[in-house]
Amino acid sequence: MRVLRIHPEKCTGCLRCELACSYMQTGEYQPAKSVIRVSPFEGHTSYAPYTCTQCAEGWCMTACPVGAITISAVGAKEVQDDRCVGCKLCAIACPFGTMFYDPATRKAFKCNLCGGAPACAEACPTAAITYEDVETADWLGDFARERTARVLAEAR
Amino acid sequence: MAPRHLIIGGGTAGMNAIRTIREEETERSAITLVSAEKPYSRMVLPYYLDRSIAESHVFTATARVLRDWNVTTHLGKRATALDTNANVCTLDDGTRVEYDDCLIATGSSAVRAPVPGADGPGVHSFWTLDQARGVLAQIQPGSHVVMIGAGFIAFTILNSILSLGAKLTIVEVAPRILPRMIDDTGAGLVQSWLEQHGVAVRTGAKLTQIDEVKNRRRLKMAAGGDLVADVVIMATGIRTNLEWLKTSGVKINQGIVVDERLRSSAPNVYAAGDVAEGRDLITQANAVHAIEPTAQEHGRVAGANMAGKDVRYRGSLIINIVEVCHLDVASFGAWDDAKAETASGVKADRPAYRRLLWRGDRLIGAIILGPSSDIWTTNDVGMLKGLVQSGVALGSWKAHLKKNPFDIKLAFIATKTTGSLLPETILGRPSKAPGETPVAV
Repeated sequence: MRVLRIHPEKCTGCLRCELACSYMQTGEYQPAKSVIRVSPFEGHTSYAPYTCTQCAEGWCMTACPVGAITISAVGAKEVQDDRCVGCKLCAIACPFGTMFYDPATRKAFKCNLCGGAPACAEACPTAAITYEDVETADWLGDFARERTARVLAEAR
Repeated sequence: MAPRHLIIGGGTAGMNAIRTIREEETERSAITLVSAEKPYSRMVLPYYLDRSIAESHVFTATARVLRDWNVTTHLGKRATALDTNANVCTLDDGTRVEYDDCLIATGSSAVRAPVPGADGPGVHSFWTLDQARGVLAQIQPGSHVVMIGAGFIAFTILNSILSLGAKLTIVEVAPRILPRMIDDTGAGLVQSWLEQHGVAVRTGAKLTQIDEVKNRRRLKMAAGGDLVADVVIMATGIRTNLEWLKTSGVKINQGIVVDERLRSSAPNVYAAGDVAEGRDLITQANAVHAIEPTAQEHGRVAGANMAGKDVRYRGSLIINIVEVCHLDVASFGAWDDAKAETASGVKADRPAYRRLLWRGDRLIGAIILGPSSDIWTTNDVGMLKGLVQSGVALGSWKAHLKKNPFDIKLAFIATKTTGSLLPETILGRPSKAPGETPVAV
């Protein structure tokens, strides 16, 4: 299946992915509702977006007590709003921390790959987010290890 | 002849086992379900109580779905004895069900405080759907509800009671609220938060008697300060439903002792969920984890093995989350290990709290508390679970987290925890979506 591939070294931290994501998902430009989140590294000297990997286990999906998370036509784990009661079991089960909860609607929400046309990838001006037919992977680990050396040195 | 599987108990563990058997089996088996109640999810009863979902929403498998899955049902009946030599289960109406293998998933029942009047009118448990109906019928706007017990179950219905317009008082015999879920600091923050939101909390308070007075309940407290309530909810704990197995010969400790394939001391008898005492992921010792995620994983692993697969379970992780008045409260693993190395941080104004517990440079438990509108809370909840579940070596990130206990995400990403979690699946293959369970042809 096609997944969101992150190329962290290309990210400029412009946050257009967050805006695009929230607009596509909610109809409004509100980064607080984005399910892709840009993190700063090394005191804001570099950035990288982080989102759901659409993992094989689907911890959110198997944890849901009412079967409200299913697999969409493009292979994304997707929350069915009319089934979700807002119990947050998915949020505590997802070991990647990529589940979200909206106190206003009392529903969980997450990346659903925008039904096969991810807005974040389209909005990214540097192709730091691409939508590709590759095995999902830890796109940020090596980058983050390198770009956190100074933070770690301070802890010692 | 097709293998005959018997599932005793239609709760989370039993229903996950049935689905997994149908997903995994290579030849069509005969499945029989014995359940005292129609299958429903206890987790969502609080949302039925606050009327945000209809009663029909709580059921996890309708009669139609069970028919599609070709499950023979004995609903409304209880198992009363298991003969593990003859491979026969006897039900309360005398029915005898033969099996080739069976799963015991009979769950738990609510226990009330042993005080006079505890079974009187207007005193409820909130555990089963029937009991939820009873509570829902009694609470009116302006009712005074007194909840006895300030544990996880009590807190799952706290929002619902408030949203029905009731006044709420919580009485806890232990010195702090949520005594088996969070520590003193966390409990103190939650208690203040609740009091700010109009909930009265009494800790270290012992109930001695309940009397019926003019259609209301008077609750006598050991230290005085009696309470008068319209509705009393006893959330004073649960007991696993194991009495009926006394003569079965199955080895029982705190629960039915199971191996890594969820098999009991009788090789063709499995146990899952609240009744099973299986491996704890953190301690590697056997323990009863009476929580929904363990019931799900136990049920799936037991089902896969019953269907002829060889699936070993890594062990279960204690995870609890509850939201009260828009404050998320969660804990993981060995959050109360007195011997662990710890670090914590408090932001009293939000309020937010993190407590991290280590063995060596691996996280073995955590407590997290924060506003549910705070995105970091929700994301950190998951990443803390990931760090504890994967047991990833934190190396020098341990020192960073000790100084900066709120900086979970950076540590999670830079320790490549994602990479160590991605290959992990419970059944050794990608999970199927609900609704993908093969139906009978």
